[in-house]
Amino acid sequence: MLGLVQSIKIALAQIAPRLGGLQANLASHHRLLDEARAGDVDLLVFPELGLTGYLLQDLAAEVAMRLDDPRLVSLAAATDGMSAIVSFVEESADHRLFIAAALLEDGELRHVHRKLFLPTYGLFDERRFFAAGDTLRAVPSRLGVGIGIGVCEDFWHLAVPQVLALDGAQILVNVSSSPGRDLAATNEVGLGTATSWRTLMRTYAQLTTSFVVFCNRVGVDESISFWGGSEVIAPNGAAILSAPLYDEGLYTVDIATADIRRERIALPLLRDERPELNIRELERIVAERAGLASDSTAEPDAEPGHDLTAVDPPSAAIGFRANRGHERKS
Amino acid sequence: MTQPPFDSPFDLPPELAIDTDVARRVIAGFIRGQLEQAGFERVVLGLSGGIDSGLVAYLVAEAIGAERLLAVMLPYRSSSPASRADAEAVVTDLGCASDVVDITPMVDGYFGDPERPGAAGPDGPGRGEATALQRGNFAARMRMAVLYDRSVTWSGLVVGTGNKTESLIGYTTIFGDSACAFNPIGDLYKSQVRQLAVAVGVPSVIVNKAPSADLWPGQTDEAEGGFSYPVLDRLLFWRIDKRRSIEEMVALGFTTEMVERVDRMVAGAEFKRQVPPIAKLGPRTAGVDYLYPRRRPGSART
Repeated sequence: MLGLVQSIKIALAQIAPRLGGLQANLASHHRLLDEARAGDVDLLVFPELGLTGYLLQDLAAEVAMRLDDPRLVSLAAATDGMSAIVSFVEESADHRLFIAAALLEDGELRHVHRKLFLPTYGLFDERRFFAAGDTLRAVPSRLGVGIGIGVCEDFWHLAVPQVLALDGAQILVNVSSSPGRDLAATNEVGLGTATSWRTLMRTYAQLTTSFVVFCNRVGVDESISFWGGSEVIAPNGAAILSAPLYDEGLYTVDIATADIRRERIALPLLRDERPELNIRELERIVAERAGLASDSTAEPDAEPGHDLTAVDPPSAAIGFRANRGHERKS
Repeated sequence: MTQPPFDSPFDLPPELAIDTDVARRVIAGFIRGQLEQAGFERVVLGLSGGIDSGLVAYLVAEAIGAERLLAVMLPYRSSSPASRADAEAVVTDLGCASDVVDITPMVDGYFGDPERPGAAGPDGPGRGEATALQRGNFAARMRMAVLYDRSVTWSGLVVGTGNKTESLIGYTTIFGDSACAFNPIGDLYKSQVRQLAVAVGVPSVIVNKAPSADLWPGQTDEAEGGFSYPVLDRLLFWRIDKRRSIEEMVALGFTTEMVERVDRMVAGAEFKRQVPPIAKLGPRTAGVDYLYPRRRPGSART
């Protein structure tokens, strides 16, 4: 397939889901699927938890769906002749709740990715409410390319895009509900979060020589505003679609799959990857961090997994002045 | 490195400068989102003539249109006439609905005045002996009571106007000026409030006057607190947002004494920023292990 001049029309649904409004969000998904089909879209991507809204807390269990849920089956049925990625709360047979993204194609649910990394720090509290997925797979799609799906924080972990590319993905898709923060005037496009994501996406596209599709929601859940800015990045790291920040809409772009072949021949990074080296060194590191092996390159008093002996931290934050470093005598 | 010389109380520390276009987009969407999720279309605002409430008036007008805003002016007998005139200027410029409620009888009705005792009784705190701080806090709560009454008659949500600086140091009245349905500027330092106020076109007479809680004639925040806002904002930004240690703060030009003083103010005001704790007794307790979004299907007013 890659030898052919093939174009794939990708549409990003940069929407503002209603928090907890599963029925309303299902209706908007069906509407956008219809609109995309009318526009000859091949792949329509919805953002993380587009069917439920993001800041669910205890609502998560109330909007969760099993994979055979008729509402999901009906959504899949609406993908006849096209592909879509939708995201929702999945309840497993043993009643764990996952943040899931599913590839729907030709009327069927083809693949489900369960979010691997659940941020539970700063403004995030996902691990309290959700279980983390355990598998990462690229899958073939009707579009003639391999697709690898990650959900938001999954792409803040270097291994994820690399594993997906090594597993055969040529299009890496990240669906996100990214809360915008840091309005410092020095930020590119005026938003720190956008600067970070834009950097990541371009880097991953270039290092995996793959297309990177980033679909981020807009709208407001409670205190947080989601910033949109969905993008499609070509395998050479250049943005070929940059949706506006904060504007709801369906944004489309045609990608040429020949760009993948061209870039991978010109810049054969994937060819030169050495996963066996990764495995060997990672196995060593895992053993050292668990204290099951000694680290020949570490200082003698270093804790397992660290190379350097621990040093005193600087003074602590507000509320912990008693432990301030310079008051300690040692 | 030494503290940059902020000659004017209106200097914007460079590291605090925000992208005002993005801020306006976010805040407009935030205001619309809060109203939509609550099932309201209108907003009620206490307009003092100061920069915080002035800025919020412009932001609300930008988000939903001035015709959906009710600005209530709530003077006490000692309030500055200039504040009132500045508030009127905002109302005129925006063309929003407005109302004036003189809270003097409400405040004096409790404290009493030199001629007669108030509701607090002949031995109460009144008879002219209440401190200015006591009266100021009571006045703030009377304003809150009026705004929440107007919330019903105007069918609008009460918008908050407190900024991040005053919230962090506790320069607020709990259940008074800090009471609101939502707050669009509560994550902006005072210097950033000024920056945004200039960007949205708040009248310069309001932007350029010394900030004051107007609790007594001639009062200014900066004289009362013994700090200038640019310096305090910069301190809070590095200490809290950027998690700098005391040693690192000193390297940024602050004295240990000032950092520790502000630390105490911030820690001492923690209770003002949080929902009061409920004694945990039952299986599920609001805010502890009964955790729902404030708004979800079924919670909007219909």
